Amino acid sequence: MKDDILWVEKYRPKKIADVIGNEEAKATFVDWLKSKRRRKKAVLLYGPPGVGKTALVNAASNEFGFTIIEMNASDTRTEKTITRIAGPATSFVALDKFSTETKGNLLFLDEVDGVFGKEDRGGIGAIIKIVEESQVPVVTAANDPDLQNLRPLKKVCELIRFRQVRIPLIIAVLRRISSMEHVDAEFEALEKIAQNSEGDVRSAINDLQSLTEEKRVLNLQDAMRLTPRSKNIGMYETLKGVFSAKSPGEAAAMLNRSNADYDDLLLSISDNLPLRYKDPAELGAAYDLVSRADVFRGRIAAENWHLLRYFFYFLAEATTVSPQSFRPFGFIFPPIRISTLFWTKNKRVTMEDICAKIASKCHVSRRTAKQDFVPFVKIILEKKKSNPIGSWLKLDAEEVDYLTKMNRF
Amino acid sequence: MALDEEVVMWVEKYRPKNLDEIVDLRDVVESIKAFLRTPKTMPHLLLAGMPGTGKTTVALCIARGLFGPNWRQFTLELNASDERGINTVRDRIKDFSRYGRTGFGDVPFVLIILDESDQMTGPAQTALRRIMETSSRTCRFILICNYSGKIIEPIQSRCAIFRFSKLDKKAMVEHLKNIAKKENISLSAEAAESIVEYSEGDLRHAINALQTAAVYRGGTIDEKTVLQVMGEASPRQVQLMLTKALSGDFIEARKLMYDLMGLYGFSGSEIVRQMQRELLKVSYLSAEDKADLTNIIGEYDFRLTQGANNDIQLSALLAQFSKFGKSKEKVIGESN
Repeated sequence: MKDDILWVEKYRPKKIADVIGNEEAKATFVDWLKSKRRRKKAVLLYGPPGVGKTALVNAASNEFGFTIIEMNASDTRTEKTITRIAGPATSFVALDKFSTETKGNLLFLDEVDGVFGKEDRGGIGAIIKIVEESQVPVVTAANDPDLQNLRPLKKVCELIRFRQVRIPLIIAVLRRISSMEHVDAEFEALEKIAQNSEGDVRSAINDLQSLTEEKRVLNLQDAMRLTPRSKNIGMYETLKGVFSAKSPGEAAAMLNRSNADYDDLLLSISDNLPLRYKDPAELGAAYDLVSRADVFRGRIAAENWHLLRYFFYFLAEATTVSPQSFRPFGFIFPPIRISTLFWTKNKRVTMEDICAKIASKCHVSRRTAKQDFVPFVKIILEKKKSNPIGSWLKLDAEEVDYLTKMNRF
Repeated sequence: MALDEEVVMWVEKYRPKNLDEIVDLRDVVESIKAFLRTPKTMPHLLLAGMPGTGKTTVALCIARGLFGPNWRQFTLELNASDERGINTVRDRIKDFSRYGRTGFGDVPFVLIILDESDQMTGPAQTALRRIMETSSRTCRFILICNYSGKIIEPIQSRCAIFRFSKLDKKAMVEHLKNIAKKENISLSAEAAESIVEYSEGDLRHAINALQTAAVYRGGTIDEKTVLQVMGEASPRQVQLMLTKALSGDFIEARKLMYDLMGLYGFSGSEIVRQMQRELLKVSYLSAEDKADLTNIIGEYDFRLTQGANNDIQLSALLAQFSKFGKSKEKVIGESN
């Protein structure tokens, strides 16, 4: 039997007391929210995912009668959008301020550690400005407070730390939900789920729901099926997973769970294809798919993340062109490009310098200098290093040496 | 002082200093001479044509014709493919046209030569058009490009367009012979023709080849020398990469590709262009095969412009070559 609604939504804490664990953080937050004269106008709640940061803000607002204006990572947060949405919400104190029902607005900026990069240009600056001018409480939340770009924000916020929720507390929540959902759950099974969650209440509840989707009985054996919710499915595991997958769907699931950087993943899958496919026809087919994935990576650029599904689709297809021919092999990693280009950077710089000198002397671009002049100048200098061409082009001894010794293009 | 130093590279040493010395190109030269007689009426110019056909030379001759020996003071030479962005171009043009340099004698403007202007993106060209408008009282532009079609319409309509066709082979041969005479080089007629043949109407390439051949065997150039020099100067790594890929040795081909990018800093599109050029020279492929492979190269050249990683697109292209080579091998194997 299936529930239409996610249990994490259904059992979202309505009151502060329903939020489990992190008693100290809860108390600090409630004190800050209740106080008439806040020492700081904003707080930054930080800690691992699923420990109740968002839940606490919602429950507390509910209890004290604040109207939440929320922006999270799924909204674009450029300076403009932040100012447009958050500006009005924070500059007026609500008309019904004096009624007992509501205390006005509360601005909640969730996942502020996601505010960075080109697409959110000026975002942090705008948040700080909002905090400084705000007439209403501003709550921000983040997983990783050590990020460089959060530093200015931390100066204007009171910091409140959340920790992993202790296992017994999670077990208690799971038991309560099980009984409300009429699930007959073994204690050991719930314990296993709780341990596996590593203090993340949300993931524990999600696991409970997914394990009991088809039946109302849960024993330890079922719970053992959980893949360790290890937060670090690194490059190696991902490559192993996608290349040994039996179907594109299986590979796609692996890609979705992976923590590896998308671009590294793309490069590494590309690098390893010739080890995976020995048959040129298969290799050609797989590379065509990776090439398409790369085209979508180009289209995604820094903002069109909704195209990610196409990127994943083509990558998954590329790794499963012929599942039956899979044999284990040793992976190439880190990406060849990174190792090759890293080691040759000095040489490339020398080359660019030489081309720039030719370009300025002969009225051509550096590109033309490289293609149309370097091959000839090289031969001339090979014949006689002291040929006046070298000094006329203002090449130094090292550059002449480099040209004569390098391999031909 | 640099002005008096002896010019060593022949392409510069024998670059025509005035329009009368220019090889071929009679029509272009006549029209431009008319502009030089009454400089006030000179419009912006767009010089379009293949490499080594004299576009830059004509532009420099115009600069000399307008401003005399101190032409450099009144001329800004920019290369669009080297400047990082339109803002650099804009800043340098602004700086240049400011500070009272508004002309010389009865020439009421300064000159800006923008080489490889078809390398600019659409937005950059639009910005350039604006710059041309705002500075039109004090500046004349000479835009140089390979394909005038890549220049946006509004710019084209503001310019007098001159097309440079490939140079006449006979005129090129004569020019090479002249240089050889002045340099005391013995150059056989066959050798001169052979250089011209290789250079495909690109005089700059021909002169570079001539100078290289001259040092190759101490001042005597016969056909054999030319063959050797051309062989050595041709992109051997690209040829090797092609051959490896076609023979199914993908990993080795990919290694060569990374060398080209890593060691020499070639971009993906440069490598693709060279591959296409070299492909046509491969003797063991039929015309049909070459057409099929060119089609594949074209497809990946396009994907390069869309994708995020040059090396991935090039690897994919090489994999298609391996696949193609393997399928041919099978057909040949079966027919035996």
